[in-house]
Amino acid sequence: MANNNTVLIKIKRQNGPDSKSYWEEFEIPYRPGMNVISALMDIALNPTTRQGKATTPITYESNCLEEVCGSCAMRINGRVRMACSALIDNLEKPVRLEPLSKFPVVRDLTVDRSVLFENLKRVKAWVPIDGSYDLGSGPRLLPEDQEAAYPLSRCISCCCCMEACPQFNESTGFVGAATISQVRLFNTHPTGKALKRERLSALMGDGGIHECGYAQNCVEVCPKDIPLTRSISEVGREVMKQAIGDLFRK
Amino acid sequence: MASVSSTAPVAGSKASARAHSGVAPLRAGQGHSFFWRRLHSLSGIFPIGAFLVEHFFSNAFATNGAAAYNENVRFLTGLPFVFFLELFFIWIPIAYHAGYGFYIWYRGETNVGDYPWTGNWLYTTQRWTGAIAFFYMGWHVWSMRFNGVHLLTNSAAAFWKVQNEFHHPWAVAFYFVGIIAASWHFGYGLWLFAAKWGFFTGESARRKFGVVCLLVAVVFITVGTATMVAFLTSPQVAPPAEISTGAQIP
Ligand code: SF4
Ligand code: SF4
Ligand code: FES
Repeated sequence: MANNNTVLIKIKRQNGPDSKSYWEEFEIPYRPGMNVISALMDIALNPTTRQGKATTPITYESNCLEEVCGSCAMRINGRVRMACSALIDNLEKPVRLEPLSKFPVVRDLTVDRSVLFENLKRVKAWVPIDGSYDLGSGPRLLPEDQEAAYPLSRCISCCCCMEACPQFNESTGFVGAATISQVRLFNTHPTGKALKRERLSALMGDGGIHECGYAQNCVEVCPKDIPLTRSISEVGREVMKQAIGDLFRK
Repeated sequence: MASVSSTAPVAGSKASARAHSGVAPLRAGQGHSFFWRRLHSLSGIFPIGAFLVEHFFSNAFATNGAAAYNENVRFLTGLPFVFFLELFFIWIPIAYHAGYGFYIWYRGETNVGDYPWTGNWLYTTQRWTGAIAFFYMGWHVWSMRFNGVHLLTNSAAAFWKVQNEFHHPWAVAFYFVGIIAASWHFGYGLWLFAAKWGFFTGESARRKFGVVCLLVAVVFITVGTATMVAFLTSPQVAPPAEISTGAQIP
């Protein structure tokens, strides 16, 4: 067991996408206020395992160090969260670090999260303003609408909501809460609304909103406190309205 | 949506086949799972939920004594088109709901170990209560409908048949467990239906409706238990003539 002046960290490593994973243990000097990313930086200064074996620094993603870039999501003591805001003081020791389990590992703690980007493209999560002529200024947003939209716009694409979701896996191919919430954001935008029908019918495709089992893990783990279950219900209602309306109209 | 192909690889994961290939992106506008999944949800409310209400209510006639109970069974078994009523409002919907329900369970990845939160527990409980209710119903239908005295043609034997079954403590226990499982599954299913179809979207509206659904489950459990108590405490009724003479059951 590590003494009070050191911290014990166990890391699940993997050299490449196709290689086998293995565990390594590190014992690093304790510093007040340290977080998981700073601990990984300390390991990189002296990449030696607890047993004294020289090894390679841990590969991981991080950028902002203030929970706004979304790159440092990993499983810490089994649960997904942002590493930069995970203070070592508040974690059970030894600290266990693992890559996200539902995304292909690139190396060590770095995973390929491009599925979220792909999903956002498939629901056209943008405001369509490209054209061959000047569209002029956009419509004004009412303050209330801004207030409803702002929390949704804080998504940092970390994929925590997808990692924790029991329905997000290879057999369902579920789209996940983040994308559904972005559909709500862009469907309520006065210009973004133009693509509302397309977005909703995209979400009716296989792996769409219906795969949600309402376990509500997404809203619990989201580091930006986005009201994801509310988004799922709101978009669920719009999807049903469109599906039933089309029965009569189409 | 025609340009979106389900086989399009996730950007950046084109490399060699991986052990863990990751979750596929949304198949926008493709497939029929939306219809089948929503039908599963709807079938649980109507007709299955409606039948459950009818079934608990009809059986509660037992609290008015054997004669009232048998009279109710005579009424139900004498309904016009009873074969088709049962086929289209009971057998087919329950078979579909159960079959598709197991398929949903099989594809989900329960993770209450890492994420032991209420919503997640309810997600898991919904699967287990569904399974328990299903196996209970299988036995219940076999023993009440297809075994022993035929109630469709001998409605006067109904009260006796239940009492007779309740002579086995295991049967009593199984009834009780079955009632709790079915009641809970229906109550929470009602809540899920409202949340997913977007009837209640806001946090507080969903929470309040949760209380209503909890009450629904409690009422079902209470009515079911009172019915069981009526069978257990009523004086033993004599078997109908054709049985007491040993003509049908040796
Ligand atoms: S509510 Fe549950 S099933 Fe639905 S997206 Fe969130 S975690 Fe997944
Ligand atoms: S919704 Fe929340 S958990 Fe999901 S990707 Fe966005 S910020 Fe992360
Ligand atoms: S480093 Fe940007 S969110 Fe953690």
